[in-house]
Amino acid sequence: MAERSEADRLKEETWLQRLVRRPEIGAFIVMVVIIVALAIASDGKAFNALGLKNNIKIIAQYGIIALGAAALMIAGEFDLSIGSMIGFAGMSMALMLKWGLPFGLGEATPFLAFIITLAMTLTIGWIIGTIVVRSGLSSFIVTLAFLFFLRGTTEVSFRLINQSTQVSGLPDYKEESWFANILGGEVFGWFYDAWYWFGQKMVAGVEWPARLTADNINYLAALNINRRLEQWVTGFDARFMWFLIIAAVAYFVLSRTQLGNWIYATGDNKEAARANGVPVNRVKVGLFMFTAFCATMFAACQVFDTNTSDAAKGNLMELFAIAIAVVGGTLMTGGFGSIIGVVFGAITVGLVANAVFFIPEIDGAWFRVFLGSILLAAVFANERIRKRITGGI
Amino acid sequence: MAEPYLRVENLTKQFGPFTALGGVDLEVYPGEVHALLGDNGAGKSTLIKTLAGVHQPTSGQIYIEGKPVSFRSPRDASAAGIGTVYQDLALNQLMSVTRNFFMGRELKGPLGTLRMDEMNQIAHDEMLKIGIDFSDPTQAVGTMSGGQRQTLAIARAIHFGAKVLILDEPTSALGQKQQMGVLKTIKRVRARGDIAIIFITHNEIHSRLVGDRFTFLALGKVIGAGTSDQIGNDEMRRLMAGGAEMGDLEQELAGI
Repeated sequence: MAERSEADRLKEETWLQRLVRRPEIGAFIVMVVIIVALAIASDGKAFNALGLKNNIKIIAQYGIIALGAAALMIAGEFDLSIGSMIGFAGMSMALMLKWGLPFGLGEATPFLAFIITLAMTLTIGWIIGTIVVRSGLSSFIVTLAFLFFLRGTTEVSFRLINQSTQVSGLPDYKEESWFANILGGEVFGWFYDAWYWFGQKMVAGVEWPARLTADNINYLAALNINRRLEQWVTGFDARFMWFLIIAAVAYFVLSRTQLGNWIYATGDNKEAARANGVPVNRVKVGLFMFTAFCATMFAACQVFDTNTSDAAKGNLMELFAIAIAVVGGTLMTGGFGSIIGVVFGAITVGLVANAVFFIPEIDGAWFRVFLGSILLAAVFANERIRKRITGGI
Repeated sequence: MAEPYLRVENLTKQFGPFTALGGVDLEVYPGEVHALLGDNGAGKSTLIKTLAGVHQPTSGQIYIEGKPVSFRSPRDASAAGIGTVYQDLALNQLMSVTRNFFMGRELKGPLGTLRMDEMNQIAHDEMLKIGIDFSDPTQAVGTMSGGQRQTLAIARAIHFGAKVLILDEPTSALGQKQQMGVLKTIKRVRARGDIAIIFITHNEIHSRLVGDRFTFLALGKVIGAGTSDQIGNDEMRRLMAGGAEMGDLEQELAGI
């Protein structure tokens, strides 16, 4: 008998088998199905110039916080305070912009309002993380406490300082401040310029009737041209850029760096990681600060885009963030997950959340029915993946 | 006799009112297997965790090559050449062989990036040296057998400069054939001659097969120690049972 070793029992796989076994594959298939279904059901409206912009707006919003939630979940912890953190950060920026810096330090510029708010939210993230790692309590309960604490603080601060739970009618800072513009303005104008340029080529030489019918309005909209044959949509919301940046950085860190290895190791088996010299506690605290950062970016984009804020902003967002992370293939138990999968998850959930605007005849509440269903399906799928990797344990 | 690489003098460790170790002495020589035996709760785990820098001793002193040392963290201990292979092996099942091999000690390029190809190669070569040819270091540890995992953990400890290799019950929870595989690995490491091995076990046969020197613990104290020539089989059995005479035990059992 020839010498047989344990290693021979593992079959060599083709690239196709490897592709099918990737953790993102489920999220990818669901995403493709949703894109196709939505394109058909909305008669293409969901992906015309304005439809795409609006869809990407909500995808980016969900995506930013889902990336934070996923990174933290990979390290084995939850953050239920994301939604309240969004409300808190929005309140903090809006109040500073309207009523000036604290302690009578004068007018707040958008940059100062953002930096001071970020300092506060990162500190809160640090406190949450420190409580979790020092006490050994479940992050579920600690962050649940901060969900109430921060939402309450937000509302109380609004009433004390502003006498009302909303701030509206702030000046449009995007006009003067480059800083407000990179958060709340538009980006990637070249994309729509190119679209418009192609659109112009397509309609050149076509004689349009005096009265445009519904059909050719649709056609023009798809070419990014309005009724007067001018450019209709000029760019994406800036949050799209932030979503891409955060996703790219998160992907790079998780898959290619030492810190990424530490994050996976921390979530998989904390004690094993610690025994090998991974600074488990610092990794976790850092990731709680990262979710706080993501929530702050979410809030900043919203405040500078709409020039408003109110005490209910970000409500329930923590649950959407966690749901998207799970739909994207992140394990509830930590140690496994993929940033690409989370991006697919955000696209899927964002599109379905927005679907009601493009298909008016459906009831918007179906969104939650759908989200619940794919969440449950994803949990089962993830569990199967985990079992396969760990050899069925 | 050569100088012991690691020497422990009158080590005690208390957790609140509980005395886990009540004054333990131990000497470990390079190129030797020092079998540490004792029943559950004898203090074996506390002793190795103290040597590994997880616990700080309440009193007593650890010497490495004659110099007194104190470890404030597992990193200190590992920097001093103490490599511990725990019972759970400190492996992450969902992560690849390479990522486990370099966990906490990754080879970094610019911006903290991982030098993955180099790491894959090293992981493969180091495991080959002590006996297994692992073709795909990118596969998850969860798919490996218990013996392979053991080898991975030992290869990792040696690669990162372990001069003292502490093996915490490496043969428990393994099948017969894999147990022998692990013993072979221990012998191969011993044959290098520069590494001292502390082999913790419940199993008298295994310790007999590879052990050069024995220390028996019971209730936090050393109840017997010596080289394999000094300790006979009966003596060994008596000490393994925590110092109780087998004869007494037989009588007790018969009386029930």
